[in-house]
Amino acid sequence: MRFRFSLWMVAPALALAALPALAHHGWGGNATEEFEIVGTVEQGVSLAGAHATMKIRAEGQVWDITLAPGARTERAGLKDGVIPVGAQVTIHGHRNRDAKRYEIKTERVTWNGRTFNVYPDRK
Amino acid sequence: MAWLEGSALGHAMRTSGVWTYGLVNLTHILGVGSLFGAVLVLDLRMLGAWRSVPLAAITRPTVPVAAAGFLVAAASGVCLIATNATEYVGNPFLLVKFPAIAVGLANVVVLTRSAAWKVRDVRELTSPEQRQLAAAGAVSLLSWLTAMTAGRLIGYW
Repeated sequence: MRFRFSLWMVAPALALAALPALAHHGWGGNATEEFEIVGTVEQGVSLAGAHATMKIRAEGQVWDITLAPGARTERAGLKDGVIPVGAQVTIHGHRNRDAKRYEIKTERVTWNGRTFNVYPDRK
Repeated sequence: MAWLEGSALGHAMRTSGVWTYGLVNLTHILGVGSLFGAVLVLDLRMLGAWRSVPLAAITRPTVPVAAAGFLVAAASGVCLIATNATEYVGNPFLLVKFPAIAVGLANVVVLTRSAAWKVRDVRELTSPEQRQLAAAGAVSLLSWLTAMTAGRLIGYW
């Protein structure tokens, strides 16, 4: 009986620990509407970390551009230094749900007539 | 954080190929998995499960696996943070995770210094001693669960 008692004590804790795994990984924190913005590259592409990133300046703000994971972003042809700082780019993706956060989870980047489609299977 | 990001470690993480972060992340998961798996079995035993198995028979495999898991998780964790350390400034989950780890480690120190722990393979434990170990098991389970939950959520902030 003592055994059962202790298992019941920890069961809710274990269930709680499993919750984050149910949270949506990736697109859940972003708006469902398609979003597009034109800006200039403030900080070039970096493939380091869980996702590749870059920063652009548009509408008087610096936007965090979250790209695909490094390997996937590289396969789309988007590597460090391909797009020069100061270049004009079009970013297509989904804006962060929080309007105070200038972050775009990005599906494709267009620069100088070239399109880097990091999520070709998405609209 | 700026210092950590600018360190040789941070630089190495950022410039050693697109698979590095993922592989170090895998190492972190293996470490955390070993730590928590071992700790879970030990804590449940201290809370009263599997009483027919002597405590010393449980501590022998679980303690070294948990310790090794912690070292692997800590070493790989420093690498992961160093990659883009400044991005984590203001991340509330980090401020939950590290105090939770500190509580977990403090609990290890208190537990391993207790008389009940030291005599576990010498004689049967008295009821108060068993309750003391059960309390340590509960603190351990809560602190590591909190650390893992907060750790998993860092990337969602």
